Amino acid sequence: MGVLSAISRLPRPTQAATVLAVVALALAGCGGSSLDQSGGGQSGGEIKIGLLLPQSGVYAPLGQEMRAGFQLYLDQQGGKLGGRAVKVVTADEGGGPQTGVPAGQKLVTQDQVNAVVGVVNSATALGLRDFFDESKKLLVVANAGADAITGARKSDYIWRTSFSNGIVAATLGPAVAKEVKGKVYLIAPDYAAGREMAAGFRKSFEAAGGEVAGEKFTPFGTTQDFQPYLSAIRGSGAKAVWTFYSGAEAVSFVKQYKEFGLAGKTPLYAPGFLTEGGVLAAQGQAAIKVKTSLHYSTELDNPKNKEFVAAYRAKVGKPPTVFSVQAYDAAAVLDKALAKASGTGGPELVKALGGVGTIDSPRGQWSFSADHNVRQQYYLREVKSSGGTFVNAIVGELG
Amino acid sequence: MATYLVSVLNGLAMGSLLFAIALGLSLVFGMMDVLNLAHGAVYLVGAYVAVALVADGGSLAVFVLAVLAAAAAGAVLGGGLAALTRAVPHHLDQALLTLGVALVVAELLSLAFGNEVHSIAAPAAVAGSVTVAGETYPVYRLLVIGFGTVLAVAVYVLVERSQLGSLIRATVADRPMVSALGINTGRVLVGVFGAGAALAAVAGVLAGPILGAQPGLDERVLLLALVVVVIGGLGSVRGALLGALVIGQVQAVGTALLPEYASFLVFAAMALVLLLRPAGLLPAAGTAVRA
Repeated sequence: MGVLSAISRLPRPTQAATVLAVVALALAGCGGSSLDQSGGGQSGGEIKIGLLLPQSGVYAPLGQEMRAGFQLYLDQQGGKLGGRAVKVVTADEGGGPQTGVPAGQKLVTQDQVNAVVGVVNSATALGLRDFFDESKKLLVVANAGADAITGARKSDYIWRTSFSNGIVAATLGPAVAKEVKGKVYLIAPDYAAGREMAAGFRKSFEAAGGEVAGEKFTPFGTTQDFQPYLSAIRGSGAKAVWTFYSGAEAVSFVKQYKEFGLAGKTPLYAPGFLTEGGVLAAQGQAAIKVKTSLHYSTELDNPKNKEFVAAYRAKVGKPPTVFSVQAYDAAAVLDKALAKASGTGGPELVKALGGVGTIDSPRGQWSFSADHNVRQQYYLREVKSSGGTFVNAIVGELG
Repeated sequence: MATYLVSVLNGLAMGSLLFAIALGLSLVFGMMDVLNLAHGAVYLVGAYVAVALVADGGSLAVFVLAVLAAAAAGAVLGGGLAALTRAVPHHLDQALLTLGVALVVAELLSLAFGNEVHSIAAPAAVAGSVTVAGETYPVYRLLVIGFGTVLAVAVYVLVERSQLGSLIRATVADRPMVSALGINTGRVLVGVFGAGAALAAVAGVLAGPILGAQPGLDERVLLLALVVVVIGGLGSVRGALLGALVIGQVQAVGTALLPEYASFLVFAAMALVLLLRPAGLLPAAGTAVRA
């Protein structure tokens, strides 16, 4: 750790200062709370569902959107899933596994929930894997995208209603290879998801005949100024750029991409998280024409989505995001599984989940694959301005 | 070559902002021996003032108004912090107290503005880009460099050439002696604390169009400011300026040259300075021994 060794060399008052600054950074990720909330009615016995979502830290906005999606489905079913009254227990996932893993364990051991839904952070999901596997409890992952969750470290008890990094990035590869005449530059944050996304894209892009002009990984979560990288991209002579950022970094990157004169000249491609939800509102005009791949957009033209968007807007006052849909669908699969399950224990729920078949979701129809991942349609989206707001218009379907 | 020229320019812009942020922290630490971990929170207050007033890119006049409003808010916060920390002489207690204040302020801001990432548009008149050495560069960042230059000159004249400045420097060097001359050093200290905090809040507004506003930004800014203070030397205006310029260039040019090591460069620079000059590059004369 470069930081620690640097600190140990500081003069004493400054040592105190820096050590405490580091403590400050660590502290900000902590803090937890739990809210109990009862569903109505009694028929077929009550079931307890744990919602493990970030209520603090950088992922808190995602947590709010997922909670709203889950709650919307529950409200539409009169507070019941599969005919059973639902008691929802929430726990704060926080910003990473150091808070998320204990919170997930607490839901099972202390609150005695029948299943846990949520998990934004991949490290948290992987950190909880053995615990759920050994205690034979169901975990429905409604965001975390690490390939290993349904790959190398898959478990009978872990199911995913969101996406996996490698696939969401890979679907864009052939499309970019076809649209761009020339080399493409890859830039992504330097952490597990960034590397998985870049590897997924690169593989399918090169397989489709694309050529990479250069590849850079930027320090994750601390990069505020992308100018040095943007200058390098310009210097490389790339004809297009592929990237993967989300949250604050997505806003900075897209705005600076325009400020430093790349937007308009060098097309920008990315997995859809670059321009999803509140991030897009903050990017505004700078995001116009950015093309992304994702399994959802509010602009999807199907009856189920129209109804979902209207209901979500009425309840929350904002348009839904892909995160709301993933949690909405997690509630939907639990609803279907509980209706069939012979009991509410982990093994019974898992058995029932295996037979839920096709889910009719706002994102279109999808089903579980053999390793409990989502098999779904991906869409090519382009940011357009529509009546003063910015939306991800659907411009095509990806293989 | 042109690529690096733009990076140098960009380093100057970041250095200007870091100077405005770190100056208050350095003077307060050097002068009052107060470790103020709420400095980043004061910066964040400034950033959210900008979100409230100029998020969508108002006119220059509104932007100036936001700067003044942030300065006022910062000065009030700084005065409050000065009063709070006065009764707490030990660094650890001060750190805990100001850290507590920082957490409370950050939580209040997140309650008021939500946890979303807010971006702030530059004033419409200076929102465009110009061509510098064949590369596109945002006009607003050039203005930030101009602001940094003006600030550096103004602070130099005030601290090194005016009577008020000699009072401030004397208070840094030997507080009991200034007290013995019949001057209320407490008032000088509160004034410097307030002015330093006001400057940090102003930097929050000015950095808005570059860094935006979101929860957690306060900690990152505080950490950078601490590095600047360590590199520059405690309690010295020139040190803060030099430290800010060094860190600005390390972040911009260093990242352009050695992108693989971008996350360590700032701390590597700090470690290097501490190895060679443990008191910082330009520590205040009177505090060299203490620091």
